[in-house]
Amino acid sequence: MRGARLASVGKSSRAPLAFSLPAWILIIPIFILPLGLGLYLSVFDKSLGFPQPINFVGLANFQSDVKNSNFYSAVKVTAQFMAIAVFIQIPIGIFLAMVLHSASKFASMFRSSLLIPMLLTPVAVALMWRFMFSSELGIINWVLDKMTLAQPDWLGSVTAAFFAVAIVDSWQSIPFVVLITLAGLAAMPVAPQEAAMIDGASTIQRIRYVTLPLLKPVLLVILLIRIIDSFKLFDIIFILTRGGPGTATQTLSMLDYNTAFTFLATSRAAAIGVVLALMSLPLYYLWKKVISVSS
Amino acid sequence: MRKKFKVFGTVTAVLSLLLSSAFVATSSSSAADKKPSAINVFLIPSPSADAIKKLAPKWTAKTGIKVNFTEVEYGTAHQKALLSIQTGKGEQDVVQFDNTFLAAFANAKALTQLNSYTSASKEYDINDFTPALQQYGDFGGKKFGLMLSTEPFIQWYRSDIYKSLNLKPAKTWDQYKANAEAIQKSGKASGQLIGYGPASTWWWMQMVWSFGGKLYDSKFNPTVDTKEAIAATKFYKDLLKSAPKGALGFNGDDVTIQFVSTDIGQILQYSGYASGVFDPKMSKNAKNIAVTPAPAGKVNAIELAGWNIGIPSDSKNKTWAWDFLEYMLGKTNAPNFLNAGAAAIGRTSITTNKALVAKNPYLALLSLPASATVYTYPSLVTWPEFDKVSSDGLASILSGKVSVEAGLKKLNTALKAVLAKEPKP
Repeated sequence: MRGARLASVGKSSRAPLAFSLPAWILIIPIFILPLGLGLYLSVFDKSLGFPQPINFVGLANFQSDVKNSNFYSAVKVTAQFMAIAVFIQIPIGIFLAMVLHSASKFASMFRSSLLIPMLLTPVAVALMWRFMFSSELGIINWVLDKMTLAQPDWLGSVTAAFFAVAIVDSWQSIPFVVLITLAGLAAMPVAPQEAAMIDGASTIQRIRYVTLPLLKPVLLVILLIRIIDSFKLFDIIFILTRGGPGTATQTLSMLDYNTAFTFLATSRAAAIGVVLALMSLPLYYLWKKVISVSS
Repeated sequence: MRKKFKVFGTVTAVLSLLLSSAFVATSSSSAADKKPSAINVFLIPSPSADAIKKLAPKWTAKTGIKVNFTEVEYGTAHQKALLSIQTGKGEQDVVQFDNTFLAAFANAKALTQLNSYTSASKEYDINDFTPALQQYGDFGGKKFGLMLSTEPFIQWYRSDIYKSLNLKPAKTWDQYKANAEAIQKSGKASGQLIGYGPASTWWWMQMVWSFGGKLYDSKFNPTVDTKEAIAATKFYKDLLKSAPKGALGFNGDDVTIQFVSTDIGQILQYSGYASGVFDPKMSKNAKNIAVTPAPAGKVNAIELAGWNIGIPSDSKNKTWAWDFLEYMLGKTNAPNFLNAGAAAIGRTSITTNKALVAKNPYLALLSLPASATVYTYPSLVTWPEFDKVSSDGLASILSGKVSVEAGLKKLNTALKAVLAKEPKP
C-alpha cells in the first residue's frame, strides 16, 4: 500500500517534467547553451583575427570593457533611449488611446491606421526615414524650409541624430502602446466609471483614481515590453546612423555588434553580451510584478 | 634455398604492391587533383560577385564542375567566413573578402598562400600588373589574396559645371579647394564632397598621406598628432565648408549617391563606383561626369582599395579552386569580366586596351603612375577597430566639439590602445 502510494507520488512528480519536456528541448539549445557559450567565451581571448589556441584570461575582457570610454557612452545612450520609451512614448500612447476610446467618429479608421507602422519591419522603416531625413533630398527639411524654419542636419549632427532615432522609434512604438491600452480600456468594467461619475468625480479624477489603477496590469506589460525593446534597440540605429555621428547613437547592442562583427573580437563581444544580460536582470522583477498584479 | 628465395620474392612483391597502392591512395587523398563534382564559392554582394556568378556557368561547361554560391551581406560576411574556415571542414573553396580584413584573415591562417600558383600561371600572368598592383593582397611579403577589383581614389567632376565656370581639373589639393570654393560661390552646385560620416577615415588618411604624414610608425606607435597630420586634418575640415548639407552623416556609398542624384561640383571617390556613376539609369548626371587622378599634396599619394579573393586554408579542392580563379580573373577572361559588370581590375592589358578605354575612360587611371606613392589600407589585424576609433574621433573634430589639435591628441591616445593589441612581426 505504502509502496503504491510512493509510486503514485513518483509518477505525479515526473508528470510536470514530462509535460514541460518539449519546452526544455527548445529552450536548452536555443537559449541555455548559447548563454553558457557566451559566458565561456567571455573569459577567454578568442578573436577571429588571431590564430588558435585561445587562452583563459579571467575577467580581463570585462576590465577592458569597463576601461573603455565607448562602453560608458553606449550605456548612457541606451539609458536615454529607454527613458524616452518610458517617459515620452508610453504617456503619449496612453493619452492617444484615451482620446480614441472616447471619440466615436473616425475612431475605427484611426485604429486601423495605427496598425501600419507596427506591420512594417524596422529595417524598411529606417530606410524610409533615412531618405526623409536627408538634408538635400528629404521631405522633412523641405517642409521645414517652406515653413521658414531651421533645417537640422538630421543624421550628421550629434543632437539631431539622437532625436532622429528617437522619432523613428516613437513612430513605430507609440501605436503599439495605443493599441494595447485601447484593448485594456475596452475590457475595463463600466460600473466603477459610472459610480465615479454619480459621485461627481471630474474627468481627471476618474482617470487618476479609476482608469489608471484598473489599467495597471496592462500598463505594466507595456512598460516591460517597451523597456526590453529599447534595451535591444539596434536595427533602426544600424540603418539610420550606424551609431554615429561618432558614438552619439551607439547603444550597447550596437557596440556589441561592432566588437563582434567589425573588430572580430569574439570574447570581448561576449563579455559585453554578458554585461547586457546582467543589466537586464532587474527586468525579471518587473516581470514577476506583472504576473502578481495580473493574477 | 630456391623455396626461400621464392617466398622472399613473393613477400617483396606483395609489400611493393601494398606500398605502391598506399602511395596511390595518399596522392589521391591529398585531394589536390581529384575532380570534385562541385566547388563552393563564398561571395559578398558586389558588382564583382555578380560578374562571377554570371560567368561561372562557362567554367562549369569547361570543367564539368558545378559551382555553389553562398552570398553573405558585408556586415557579417567576414566573421562568418572566418568561423567557417576555422572549423576546418573545408566548407568553402573560394572566399571573397575586403582588403581591410586581409591581415586578419592571413594572421588567422585562414588563407592559402598563392605565390606558387601566381608565379606558375601564364594565364593569370602576374606581370600583367604594375609592381604596385602586384603586391595587392600580400601580407608579410606573401600573397594571400588575388585582386578582385582595382579601386584607387580618383577625382570625379561635373564637366558641365566646370565648363560654365571655366575651371580646370585640379592637380593639387590647393587647386581642388579653389575649384570647390568657386563652384560653391557660383551657387550652381555644392563645391565638393568627400567622406565625413561613418567612413571618414578613408578620406582622412588619404589626406594625411598626401600631407606627408603617417598613421603609425614602424613600432606600431600611432602618429596622428604630428604637424603633418594636424595640417591634413585642418585642410580636410576646411573643405567641409564647401560640402553639401548633411555631409557629416553621409557614409561611403552616400558620397556617390549624392554626386549622381544632386548637384555637386566634384568628389573624391573610389573608381569601383564607375559602373553606377556612368549608368544613366542610376545617375542623372551620367553624361556630364568626367574623371581625373586624385589631387596631389606634398606627396603624390594614391589610396588603393578593392576586393580580394582567395582560397581558404581548409579547402579540400585547392587545385580546382585555383582553376576557377585563374579562369575568372585570368588575362583571357579579363575583358569579359569587365563587360559582365564587374569593377575593373587594373591589368595593363585592360588599362591599355584602346577599345575598352574609349568605352570606359576611367580605366586609364587604374594603371597607377610610377611617380605616385601607392598606399593600401594598413596591413593591421586590428585595422577594423583602428578605422572605427579614428572615425569616432574625427566626428568630434568635425562637429567642432574639440579643436583639431586636441582631438588628434585624444585620438592618438585611443589608437595606442588599439595598436597595443597588434601582433608584432
